[in-house]
Amino acid sequence: MRLTPWLALAAASLPLTAAVAQTASKGVYTPAQAARGAALYAANCTRCHGASMEGLDVAPPLTGQRFLGNWTNQSVAELAKRIRTSMPLDMPGTLGLQDSADITTAVLAANGYPAGAAELPASASGQQPLTVDSPPAQ
Amino acid sequence: MSAFTRRSMLGGSALAYLWAVAPFARAQNSASATASAGTSSAAKVAAANTSWTSYAGTTMAHRYAPLDQITAANFNELEVAWRFRPDNLGPRPEFNLQATPLVANGRLYSTCGARRDVVALDAATGELLWMWRIEEGARFDRAPRKLSGHGVSYWTDGQEERIIYVTVGYQMISLDAKTGRPDPNFGVGGIVDLKLNDDQEIGPEVDDIGLHSTPCVCKDVVIVGAAHTVGTSPKHHANTKGYARGFDVRTGKRLWIFHTIPQKGEFGYDTWLDGTEGVGNTGVWAQISADPELELVYLPVELPTGDYMGQYRRGAGLFGESIVAVDLHTGVRKWHFQTVHHGLWDFDIPCAPILCDIPVNGKIVKAVAQPTKQSFLYVLDRVTGKPVWPIVEKPAPKGDVPGEWYSPTQPIPSKPPAYDRQGFTEKDIIDFTPELHAEGLELAKNYRMGPLFTPPSVYDDNGTWGTLLTPNATGGANWPGGAYDPETHLLYVYSKTEADIAGTIKNTNPQRSDMDYLYSRGTPAPGGKATPRGKFKPGQLTVQGLPLVKPPYGRITAIDMSKGEHAWQIAHGETPDEIRNHPALKGLTIPRTGRAGLLSPVITKTLVICGEAGYFTTPQGKRGAMLRAYDKATGEEKGAVFMDAPQSGSPISYMLNGQQYIVLAISGGSHAEEFVAFRLPKA
Repeated sequence: MRLTPWLALAAASLPLTAAVAQTASKGVYTPAQAARGAALYAANCTRCHGASMEGLDVAPPLTGQRFLGNWTNQSVAELAKRIRTSMPLDMPGTLGLQDSADITTAVLAANGYPAGAAELPASASGQQPLTVDSPPAQ
Repeated sequence: MSAFTRRSMLGGSALAYLWAVAPFARAQNSASATASAGTSSAAKVAAANTSWTSYAGTTMAHRYAPLDQITAANFNELEVAWRFRPDNLGPRPEFNLQATPLVANGRLYSTCGARRDVVALDAATGELLWMWRIEEGARFDRAPRKLSGHGVSYWTDGQEERIIYVTVGYQMISLDAKTGRPDPNFGVGGIVDLKLNDDQEIGPEVDDIGLHSTPCVCKDVVIVGAAHTVGTSPKHHANTKGYARGFDVRTGKRLWIFHTIPQKGEFGYDTWLDGTEGVGNTGVWAQISADPELELVYLPVELPTGDYMGQYRRGAGLFGESIVAVDLHTGVRKWHFQTVHHGLWDFDIPCAPILCDIPVNGKIVKAVAQPTKQSFLYVLDRVTGKPVWPIVEKPAPKGDVPGEWYSPTQPIPSKPPAYDRQGFTEKDIIDFTPELHAEGLELAKNYRMGPLFTPPSVYDDNGTWGTLLTPNATGGANWPGGAYDPETHLLYVYSKTEADIAGTIKNTNPQRSDMDYLYSRGTPAPGGKATPRGKFKPGQLTVQGLPLVKPPYGRITAIDMSKGEHAWQIAHGETPDEIRNHPALKGLTIPRTGRAGLLSPVITKTLVICGEAGYFTTPQGKRGAMLRAYDKATGEEKGAVFMDAPQSGSPISYMLNGQQYIVLAISGGSHAEEFVAFRLPKA
């Protein structure tokens, strides 16, 4: 898409974010963010989804085919929102925008999506243009 | 103690009450009119309303509706009759509706929503007749099994009707089916606190016990099991125990308890080399079945504490992973059969035992057929517990985790053959192309491989990263269970093929757990970093983004129970988008791969009907999943209708006002839960 001059100016004045990458396989988070997300995952999510996102009888896996089946071609914002509004089951709605964005990046990392140069934005509007595509071939 | 709220019903006034029950009265009247409108007795039979009064149809667990209005010829004409979205039940929408609804007298009942509320709907229109909710405070917040659960149970003596369910906070509640009001004669004000009277000390809020399956109601007894936090890395090896209990369905009085972990002096205690004081779990979280004629209850028991670690529970450990038949009225054990000795794979018995009368060698055998995660169907005489076809103790591989105890043998059924792949060897590796296979082989060599019951192994950053496991800890088959046609003696079961890692790691943090070893899925320590080898990271079982294990990923198998042989097997579920569009597979013709999930079909007079487990994009660009119909005798696909989301709870079918309905729960991803009802358009 060709940016109009004022949009281009606005984009240039924003802090560096991954919003221009468009798809998860292009790298939409930083390693540091995914590490923060992994720590948050360990504290909030392992009870139901398992220490390695393997999924258990009561909660689906967050890696592999069953995860991709739910989220491929969806906006990253949808995934982050699902985490933010319905998780963790014992305290839903407590994670907030930044923590749920960070956990989202840990989940993306576990599915083989690479890190990039910029963090995943915490805002839904920043995440909205980013699509969960198929993970890249390693 | 929990708090009731008056909001639990649609109004407490007499006026509101009348409003709530009036639609049902209409449904009843129109049902009667339709039933008597036929011109022949056959038409009357065809038009008669039917019910679905237990999770799997009846307590025999057949999931069979002998209806034939919806057929191969018209399946594609099905349209949505109604939807029910529980978004506003509970404080937020829920995305994982696993319930199977029940139907009786024109009303459809289920749990749903994030608080596990109960609703009664008009089964013809989906109109909400009443709802019940209860706020349980801290006992809800800290409960091990959240979500809407698997549904409700139904009881009637022909006059009174009750809806019985177990709350998230482990209370059993009996509601008047017509009004949704608690039955004052049951427990205390309609409630039995299941944390009491359990032959162990259980705190009202903090102990690790709950239940998400439905109670089993047989005659005037209601049987309830227990579930716990999933046991991959338990905090305590002496976790809460999961006993099974029978209660008087009218009063809620405890009639009996069965110690799934025997106490000192009880049968089976000597199968625990370390005694039973230091172990827990061993609950019955799967659906329980019961034979009203034999007056026997069949308890499918899970494994003791520690899904992959058994250092604290050396020995075969009865009644872990056993089917136990107990007397309906006394709970006294009649027989038991242990499917896995000293389980180390999380092969809980996950679903309702199927009680079927099958012709074997010219004789009708009253059998119980138990689908399992490990993909064996264990078939036993349900009177005696003796195998119908030999089940042979065979030597089992021994492992090398320090302090672990290994059963020298495991029981292997000679018939029927396993319905899914077992163990993980080179032949299970992705083989779309020679390049992918070679890469898969390279990845798999970082792990131990072997036949079924190859034990978990310790993660070694310089050695192997664990043991590859297929089926994995979620099956094979899982909690939805199977289906059985009593006329043709074909049994149907969905199973998935997924590889996972059975690994452990020394626990270095006593604050985290008092277990010596904890589960590891390619990780050196909780939260620790593992060293990649070449392009492979520990724990990641994909090759170029594709599953390491080759398809089919999901299948339905029909098993001829008169012979103990497979009648047919098909891949179930459309090929996922990420496989259809994968660059490495461009130009290849790939047969439908099926989808991995947790499913059960419903069967009708001629069809096997089952929704898909995952989303895909249709040729028209719509994202959703199909409800598919197969010929019962051959497995040939006969039709498919589109759904907005995958099947998340098993379908049922019933006849009401002259029309056959198929109702199921769908949800997943960003699609909040809903019930969807299909029927044919009226001519």
